[in-house]
Amino acid sequence: MKRIGLAALSLLGGASALAQPNQPAATVIAVPPLTTPASGAKANEDLALGWQATQLIVTDLKGTSELMPLPPNQKDYYSYPEVTAPNFPQWRSAGVKALVTGFVQTRADGRITVGCYVYDVDKGRELGRTGFIVGKSDWRRAAHKCSGLAYKAITGAPGVFDTRITYVAESGGGNAVRRIALMDSDGFNHDYVTAGGTMVLTPHLSPDSSQIAFVSYMGGIPHVRLLDVGSGNQRDLLQGSQMSFAPHFSPDGKRLAFSMMLGANSDIYTIDARGGFPQRLTTAPGIDTDPSFSPDGSQIVFESDRAGTQQLYIMNADGSNERRLTFGGGQYAAPDWSPDGKAILFTRRDGGIRRIGVIGADGSGEKLLTQGPNDEGANWAASSRELIFQRTDASGRNGLFRLTLDGSAPRQIGIPQAGSDPNWSGRMD
Amino acid sequence: MAMTRTALLLAALTSAAMAGAQPRPAMPQLSPIEMMRNDFAARSGGSTVYFGAGSAQIGAPAAAVLAAQAIWIRQHPEMLVRIEGSADPGDTRDHALAMGARRANEVRNYLILLGVPAGQVSATSWGKEHPGTGRTFTNIVGPAPLSGPALMPAGG
Repeated sequence: MKRIGLAALSLLGGASALAQPNQPAATVIAVPPLTTPASGAKANEDLALGWQATQLIVTDLKGTSELMPLPPNQKDYYSYPEVTAPNFPQWRSAGVKALVTGFVQTRADGRITVGCYVYDVDKGRELGRTGFIVGKSDWRRAAHKCSGLAYKAITGAPGVFDTRITYVAESGGGNAVRRIALMDSDGFNHDYVTAGGTMVLTPHLSPDSSQIAFVSYMGGIPHVRLLDVGSGNQRDLLQGSQMSFAPHFSPDGKRLAFSMMLGANSDIYTIDARGGFPQRLTTAPGIDTDPSFSPDGSQIVFESDRAGTQQLYIMNADGSNERRLTFGGGQYAAPDWSPDGKAILFTRRDGGIRRIGVIGADGSGEKLLTQGPNDEGANWAASSRELIFQRTDASGRNGLFRLTLDGSAPRQIGIPQAGSDPNWSGRMD
Repeated sequence: MAMTRTALLLAALTSAAMAGAQPRPAMPQLSPIEMMRNDFAARSGGSTVYFGAGSAQIGAPAAAVLAAQAIWIRQHPEMLVRIEGSADPGDTRDHALAMGARRANEVRNYLILLGVPAGQVSATSWGKEHPGTGRTFTNIVGPAPLSGPALMPAGG
């Protein structure tokens, strides 16, 4: 659970986009094995670690729809000076459009330096470089950062390789033991961060992934608690015994929006993440819940049944200027505002079918993204190009799925048991 | 409740089989709270009332059960009662929590209308976490100790 310090060596070079926006074909990219400036026995150790990192970068990039990495080949060895002076004609003739080079070097203190470079092969031009000093056991994070550099240089969007996912792990079926789990977005470093004795729901990561807000049934009444990921310490967000739920951090991490029951009426409130008094934002009778901030923190999208059926509404972050976003049939729920600000995910119920959909933040271009019949809880990746959601299968088992907005089929995420309520972190830069 | 019934059945079977034998096996002890819950369910016609899909309105069958529940609760002022609302499993997570809470609150208000002291009855929501249809469960939660010789607290 420790947060590693990534010391950036350099962040030079432009991030110009290689791919055309409307070009469907993936960009072919080569990732020859990372080399090392070291020599002798030390070099072999570094090269072995470099080969692991190379394979992880290729796996990362292969998982995207925009990039198509060549299979890594240990025979594509190159010398350290070639890291910054690659043999462009060789890669051009291999049909490659982009190239990643880099190196691994063990330092005297036992940590490693990892450097990565991304090139436009046709133009023979560097697109970006990055480098880190990390503990040897954190080589995966450094490799994910290299993947992110390549993805951003070519697509213009931030990668989600070095991000985390939290969700509710369910074991035992039915009214199972439920624990909040936290893992890297590729499933590694999986850990349980709450004990199984108390029912928990809807974990939500703070923007820097240092805290998780969630709903706990400790004491019998559902209420929002905050978990410090580093120390494991927990505390109630509010004083008193009101039911509170649906916590969401603001983009700067300083505030939380949530809903709270007052009698039969659920309204939306915000509160300083360090504590204090909640500020009530909605007053309509009925159920207002599931608030989600716009990326600049100035607005909140939420669901309300004030008009008879559940629909999505947007208001300013102080509760002013409420306006309705959706007008379709069915019931709209659980909105999530994209990190790029352009679109809002939702769950739509039509009869007995629950599906994930997306709509422009201006109300345009609504479309459904999944078939259902029991999907919910959609949440954006930091790239705004991919999302995660929960799907319940015919036997009632909950699983987590990733979906890219390019129309490809959802992919199930491998987790140890059943899981629900996924939440994907922002970038951890 | 199922567990309690099983325990009673086992007790009856065991007693029958061992009738006349020495020494008699000890009867499994129902805790006072379980006896209270059984008595409540038997006398009020059920601990659970049901709702229409997406609705928190108390229908006639539910009202009849709640009227009987209210009589029992008023006769047992020493027992705290918690109304636990549940939503339809097809609902979304957070709306279900609010819907369960709304149903529990409607039932609590109805019981108060029928003379149950407000301080005796609280409300909570299981959202859609307890499988089943939209309903509320009236749970006897105390303050009787969970085990011990005294069925009623002193003065009860």
